[in-house]
Amino acid sequence: MFRLFTRKTHRARTSSNKNQTQAKQDRSPVCLSKKLEGNIQILRESLGQSSDVIIRDMKINSNSNVDAAVVYIDGLVDRDLLNRDILQPLMFNLQLIRDNVSQNRSNLIDFIKSSVLTVGQITETEDIDRVISEVLSGHIAILAEGVTRALLIDAKGWKERSIEEPKNEVSIRGPKDSLTETLRTNTALLRRKIRDPRLTFESLQIGERSKTDVAVAYIKGITPDNLIEEINQRLKRIDTDAILDVGYIEQFIEDSPASLFPTVGISERPDVVAARILEGRAAILVDGSPMALMVPFLFIEGFQNPDDYYARPFFAALVRWVRLLGFLLSVYLPGIFVSLKVFHPELFPTPLLVSVAASREGLPFPVVLEALLMLLLFEILREAGLRMPRSLGQAVSIVGALVIGQAAVSAGLVGAPMVIVIATTAVASFLVVPYADLGALLRLIMTVAAGFLGLMGIVFISIEILSHLASLRSLGVPYLSPVSPLNIRGLKDTFVRAPLWAMDSRPVCLDPVDTRRQAPGQMPQNSKNRPNQGESQ
Amino acid sequence: MKRGQRFITYAVILLIIFPVFVSGCWDSHELNKISIVSGLGWDIDTNTGEITLTFQSIIPSEIKSSSSSGGGGEQKGGNPLHAIRLDSSTGSSPYDALNRYTQHGSRRTFYQHAQVYVFGKGGAQQGIYPLLDSIARNPINRPNVLMVVAEKKAGDILGIQDGIENIQAIGMAAEIKLSADFSKYPAVTYLEFANRLMSETTAPIAPMIGTFEDIGPEGEKVKKTRITGTAVFKGDRMIGQLNERESRGLLWAINKIKNGFVIIPGANLEIIQAKSKIVPELQDDQIKITIEINEESNLVEYDDHQEMTTDLLQELENIQAQEIESQVRAAVEKSRALNADVFGFGDAVHRKYKKEWQGLKPRWDEIYPRIEVVVKVKTHVNEIGDINKTLMRD
Repeated sequence: MFRLFTRKTHRARTSSNKNQTQAKQDRSPVCLSKKLEGNIQILRESLGQSSDVIIRDMKINSNSNVDAAVVYIDGLVDRDLLNRDILQPLMFNLQLIRDNVSQNRSNLIDFIKSSVLTVGQITETEDIDRVISEVLSGHIAILAEGVTRALLIDAKGWKERSIEEPKNEVSIRGPKDSLTETLRTNTALLRRKIRDPRLTFESLQIGERSKTDVAVAYIKGITPDNLIEEINQRLKRIDTDAILDVGYIEQFIEDSPASLFPTVGISERPDVVAARILEGRAAILVDGSPMALMVPFLFIEGFQNPDDYYARPFFAALVRWVRLLGFLLSVYLPGIFVSLKVFHPELFPTPLLVSVAASREGLPFPVVLEALLMLLLFEILREAGLRMPRSLGQAVSIVGALVIGQAAVSAGLVGAPMVIVIATTAVASFLVVPYADLGALLRLIMTVAAGFLGLMGIVFISIEILSHLASLRSLGVPYLSPVSPLNIRGLKDTFVRAPLWAMDSRPVCLDPVDTRRQAPGQMPQNSKNRPNQGESQ
Repeated sequence: MKRGQRFITYAVILLIIFPVFVSGCWDSHELNKISIVSGLGWDIDTNTGEITLTFQSIIPSEIKSSSSSGGGGEQKGGNPLHAIRLDSSTGSSPYDALNRYTQHGSRRTFYQHAQVYVFGKGGAQQGIYPLLDSIARNPINRPNVLMVVAEKKAGDILGIQDGIENIQAIGMAAEIKLSADFSKYPAVTYLEFANRLMSETTAPIAPMIGTFEDIGPEGEKVKKTRITGTAVFKGDRMIGQLNERESRGLLWAINKIKNGFVIIPGANLEIIQAKSKIVPELQDDQIKITIEINEESNLVEYDDHQEMTTDLLQELENIQAQEIESQVRAAVEKSRALNADVFGFGDAVHRKYKKEWQGLKPRWDEIYPRIEVVVKVKTHVNEIGDINKTLMRD
């Protein structure tokens, strides 16, 4: 059904794409002219009258006082660098410039680039469009009278958030840094973790208006080439005016947009991103978003947590099972409770039935409605707690706890067991944070199904969901792997986490180029002799 | 995709989705719209043959109030029956009686949690087949409900509140299970009863419950229930009953001894483990049954002021074996007198001599009283307790 829609829109999109490319081809690149005045005129027209666009006229003090201009956006560039390393040398190193520059103006630009400016990254261009776009992304452009080339100096220096502790993915033993909004910082964080020269960041700009920098991070020789190709293709297909967050990219490139299940992983932790890249995945970083996307994404990844790997494996295995249980509880508990109460009271042990029935006496609503009401109330509280200004949060939680916990029961609107069930569900749903919102949707469906058909409805929906999961793929990798299709060696990191020395190969289901992670047989040995004992005696 | 194909796609999707909602919730019953039946009593009027059903239902709201506030119980004026409600209706057949109940009941009855089926003695003596049939046919009745025969009327037993449970039927079921745990009387589920009935030769059994008067905390007379014997059926008719000693003997023979005590003069032994086997032998139309019993016990009471020795232990074991044998003998004698095969000798013979059984089966009533029964008992005393000397010499 959904395929119908996508096909139609796809056709529409390709046709519009064609129009655009034609339009682009019609507009031949505008080159810089020799006239500085004319160039500045064009820049002013393009950049408009915005107050943050600074075009600084100046004279480079060579023999003939060459007219020049420095163009930049205030706030995007490092003012210190501008004053100290660009303006000062250009205006004060008179003698040096005078001595070395002859009448040839193009010579002037070369000399400035090679000997005057004490900054790192300088490029040249003759294309005025490029000048405009680079200036908008934080470069400083230097134009001079009589020269058809402009210098572009990378002087990005804006106020940015410092690296803070991860807020959403908390780890006890792991590193405490998280990604920030600046792409360069994020790539640096990754580079610091993986110093392999083969770690590659492929950059491109997406967004007709936002021109957002997007980087695809992967390790050559681990990540399969066709994966990178596919990602690049999907990214290049995006034709929208702005990418404000990594979520925009996610929704444009995911495999099954109609599915409730996410097929793209997301994390704010550089260590998680690094680990995923090392397993043979690719990460997508977006400027302006403190999150990274990781593909392919498998269902089991939602249950993995960095602490599983940093702590010893025994407790990690227990916690894995607790998370699985928590997810199942958060999806099934209200549904099962409703169906037991309404369709199968015989499945309760008798004493439990008696006390459940006792709490049910005199309640006005059917059980399904009661459950849906409480679920809705919980979602309201959650959303309110999330969006409230932080100073008001406490008021919400107190009122919410009172309303849900006490007043609803004593007012005779809902039964106490229902409150317990919903509360348990709510807490359990946050055990597996990546699937918290997914769980909220699924348990609503389950509860409604239970209200109609009891356990049979739950079984129907479960079969439906399971077959849907089995049909999902993320960048060509089956969503349920390594469980289905079964890969015995891949199971080392699913329901239990094998010791690190036992996980010799990367996950095979991701089809990495180099499957070898480490040398086999590194299990630590308990040696009977103390080291050096033989030598001393 | 063509128009027609798309139409078919949508139609199929709708066809899949609609039945889910069309079916509705035919099986759904809100908990506050059902009355949970905890015990069912069946009485048959010996004159008219009319069946009276007695429902013991749980009143959930009373349980709620009695657990949350102490004041709830006071208002009832000391009525111990506050958590249960008794209803009865009479009809010509079990389902007729059930139908008539809907005339004065406000809630749909829910039988899945019934704990006991109580049969009045008068009705049981007349035959309870219609009741057994109606129970077995309906899937809502569970096979693990306990069968009980009331000494008088079933309706009198249900509703006598004694013990700790505030739902009497649960208390009664616990009472029966406890006595079975201590190997006093058998606990018989509906399934076991029906199995014995279907074997044609084996006689169904069920514990009997009677009432007695006790003195309450304020000196008033209080009615209480207790197990008084084992009812023996022949087919669906009750024909007699076993007393306490005969019931124990029956339990020894049918391998239902769990815990409990063997009391012999001057000593008391706690049963740790007991196993028994019924071994039939057929020789020239003469059936010989050997009941082999292996028992292990601990000494828990010894009144003679003597030091325990191996010889003494040997003697204790012998006396104990004799006691067990005499209990089994008592049961055998009673069953011969009633001519009811409560032990399942017929089934044992059937299992071992399949061919001959066809000839024996029609004459079983004649054969049964003349069967030679040998009881072999082996006993062993494991522990003599923490003391092996006597505390006080004579």
